[in-house]
Amino acid sequence: MISLETIPEKLGTTEPWVDKGGVHWLTQDATKVRELAKAMNEIHARFITITAYQLPKDEGFRLEYHWDLDGRLLGFSMQLAGKSIESIFDLTEAADWIEREIHEEYGIDFTGREYEPLLLRQGETPGVNLRDVVAASDAVAASSKEKI
Amino acid sequence: MSYKIPMGPYHPGLEEPYKLDMICEGETVLDAKLHIGFNFRGIEHLAETRNHIQVIALMERVCGICSFIHTLTLCRAMEGVAGVTAPPRAQYIRVIMAELERLHSHVLWAGIAAKLMGFKTMFMACFEIREKIMDILAAISGNRVNYSMNRIGGVNRDITDPQSILKMVEALEGEMARTVIPIFTTSRTARSRCAGIGVLTKEQAVSLGVVGPVARASGLPQDLRKDAPYAAYAELDFDVPVQPDGDVRARLLVRALEIMESCKILRQALAKLPPGEFNTGEEKFNFITGTSTARVEAPRGEVMYSVSWKEGSRNPARVHVRTPTYVVMPAIRWMVKGARLADTPLIQASIDPCYSCTDR
Repeated sequence: MISLETIPEKLGTTEPWVDKGGVHWLTQDATKVRELAKAMNEIHARFITITAYQLPKDEGFRLEYHWDLDGRLLGFSMQLAGKSIESIFDLTEAADWIEREIHEEYGIDFTGREYEPLLLRQGETPGVNLRDVVAASDAVAASSKEKI
Repeated sequence: MSYKIPMGPYHPGLEEPYKLDMICEGETVLDAKLHIGFNFRGIEHLAETRNHIQVIALMERVCGICSFIHTLTLCRAMEGVAGVTAPPRAQYIRVIMAELERLHSHVLWAGIAAKLMGFKTMFMACFEIREKIMDILAAISGNRVNYSMNRIGGVNRDITDPQSILKMVEALEGEMARTVIPIFTTSRTARSRCAGIGVLTKEQAVSLGVVGPVARASGLPQDLRKDAPYAAYAELDFDVPVQPDGDVRARLLVRALEIMESCKILRQALAKLPPGEFNTGEEKFNFITGTSTARVEAPRGEVMYSVSWKEGSRNPARVHVRTPTYVVMPAIRWMVKGARLADTPLIQASIDPCYSCTDR
């Protein structure tokens, strides 16, 4: 079984793992996501998913990447500076659908890949933040209620 | 000359809506593209508008077959955020319900697979057995589906008479050992329809990150009940069936063998059911700001919930669900490549897909 302590070195960090909420966490620079995917491939970790969080006000987004290593759940938290991050699809085939889903639901662009037509929704163009769409329609509904 | 054959979104070979566009040459499938989203309900977003009790009822509706597993994973994640641990009796009841649900799911799948093989007598036999499993689930929870069993800190209902449930399980095990298992493991019909088709190699399975019986049928011995035991699984003795061939028959065999392993787990769990409380009795919880993640081995493979909470909030800030079919479905493209068109309904059914789970 691979020791977790060898992994930060592969990622060029000296930060220790933090065990919290059932996950071994490591904060990772979003610009190094491809190095992370390569390191996970090297140790034969299984990609699980990416969870996107929209942060309050205009703080942007946080992405959490998860891999399984022999039953241990590894989590890598990344704060996005803007609305884009490099895709790992060419390195980790399993990341294809979740990258497309986050692109469709949050408008985050995974650069360096092509998007196929919409995965989860039909109709309009991909790459819009559905939360903004819902907030705008809620505001319209509220103002028409006020008029009544 | 190649041509395109669409299967779905509504098709007799599919139990739920999705679409498979197949590029064929003659009877051979050259390539395929999948389209999902026909069941997209925005459940993750809805979860942010529900409190810690309402959200359990909501997430139970992500899937009509593995509804218990969804609430189990959600409650385990919420217990992580609230710093609560379910008592030992609750952990055993969770195992019993989860294994009954696995039996229910596998027998349902076996019936559908039998129908697609043209083996309709077997379909009827499987659905008769499935009714009996649902009777046991109803005897414990009061419901045939959507059991409302899980809560933060344990379960809502006790198993007051484990011996009577044990008798029902033993009768069920005998019936399955006499009918379903021999037919799926030795029947020439099953072998001729399933052997060598829809192959997913071990390398492809690793690359796609597939989980559950599909991964185990491609030679990957992964099962969270063994690799990262939760509830009471660490105290129970069972095997993880693995098959190397990666074809439809291997997936059939893995599930047939898992049915027998589930019965073995059920007998042990019912016999060892510890005394004591079946929940912590708390109604109010102090959710700490942060994220908690839980994983559970559902009938179709790993389910993962990430739950994020802000202190003092009534509702979760985020609930993310990663279901097993979400990672297994892309493998269909590789399974149908080179297959005969007539085999594709059985191949897509062999992953036991749940589109309701996938789309959320």
